[in-house]
Amino acid sequence: MIVTPKILLRIALIVLLAVLLQLSFFSKVHLLGVVPTILPAVVIVLGLLGGSMAGAVAGFSVGLLVDCLLVAPLGASSLVLLTTGYLAGIYRERYDLTTSLVPPLMCLGLTLFAEAAFAAVQLMLGVDAPVSALVLRDMAVKSIYAFFLGVPVFLAVRRALRPALVDEQRPRRRIQPRMLGA
Amino acid sequence: MYRKQLRRRRAVLALLIISSFALLTATYGERAGGLQKGVSAVFGPLQEGADRALKPARDLINWFDETFDARGENDRLRAEVEDLRRQVIGSDVALEENEQLRKQLDLRTSGVIPSGYDEVSARVIARSPSVWFGTVRIDRGGSSGVAVDDPVVTGEGLVGTVSSVTRGGATVTLITDPGGNGISAKIANNGAQGVLSAEVGDPEDLILDYLDAQERIVKGSSVVTAGWRAPEFESKYPPNLPIGTVTQAPILQQEATQQVHVQPFADIRGLDFVTVLVGGSR
Repeated sequence: MIVTPKILLRIALIVLLAVLLQLSFFSKVHLLGVVPTILPAVVIVLGLLGGSMAGAVAGFSVGLLVDCLLVAPLGASSLVLLTTGYLAGIYRERYDLTTSLVPPLMCLGLTLFAEAAFAAVQLMLGVDAPVSALVLRDMAVKSIYAFFLGVPVFLAVRRALRPALVDEQRPRRRIQPRMLGA
Repeated sequence: MYRKQLRRRRAVLALLIISSFALLTATYGERAGGLQKGVSAVFGPLQEGADRALKPARDLINWFDETFDARGENDRLRAEVEDLRRQVIGSDVALEENEQLRKQLDLRTSGVIPSGYDEVSARVIARSPSVWFGTVRIDRGGSSGVAVDDPVVTGEGLVGTVSSVTRGGATVTLITDPGGNGISAKIANNGAQGVLSAEVGDPEDLILDYLDAQERIVKGSSVVTAGWRAPEFESKYPPNLPIGTVTQAPILQQEATQQVHVQPFADIRGLDFVTVLVGGSR
């Protein structure tokens, strides 16, 4: 990805929009008793389109903004999401996006990773309350939602960042040679 | 060239990871810092706008989910109606007796909201997506008289307490927050006191612990705030705010204490409007 100030601004707007959508819309929606989460999907897609650094920086920013807005302990979400974005970016740097199933599948797998990592961080920091087995169901269902959210998120983010994507440039119209005097 | 790029990448990654750990170390267990308060104040109006704009879409999705749930609930509710009809007859008699006793003792009739408190209605503008935190953000703050530790209720019962305040907004730690402090609560019909805490992953289920094992606690008993007061300490909550109902009792009986499961009266997942009880003496 070619990062210009204009593209940086677009990425910042994507991050801001994703956080607002998560806190004001998805967090208040319940499907089968589970709150869908869009943030790992956005970070994963940014990693897949922009590489490991873009994924890591986007993940860190998203995590920091969410923790600030919810007045939660800073750092935990940033750490988890920067790792998630970095892993998505590493995949992109090593392999091609051969099929359109790669982004949703990455969203499924890495959202599951992000949820598990977040749980691990919380447990390491010490949780006094008992932990219900329903946490596992929550993780699994959130990952399935992320699979379905991955497709529209990927299409929307790719469209927004198209001018910066090296392999996404629109093919130029070929000018047919014309014989003079014909 | 490539090596230089690789080194720069590694440096950025290391910097981000170190920053995350540093932030975590510096802010864990602390209340809202200046950065969080600033960001909340700046984004408060944006969040409020987004919340209002997205409400119709949110309600549509929740309608599908609730319809799905309602089918299963219908049968259970029919059985419950039968049960309640029988209980109502007994309650009418008890209410009559209660009214007479109150008059005799010259006690003031109290509702859900205790006297001495002012009510500030607030809209929930954001909530945590994680099961590991039970916090919501409301659109009323210090400028409306909201202060840290003010109790927050809905018409159904206790919801939580204010944990941080900015001028135009506040963060409420819900009673279902696993990291929240325990709430001193009592069983309404026999006065048995315990400490209420949450369970990670199941916001419909709270645990009332450290109840005297000698007390007989039955399913369906109401749980209210204890609101105790000692010379140097006092509960954050005023007494007798409804919290929930006992759904399973006892789940663990040790030598001296027992535990019961409690389902909150308030619909914690579907909070749209809440009331903050400001002022008053706890």
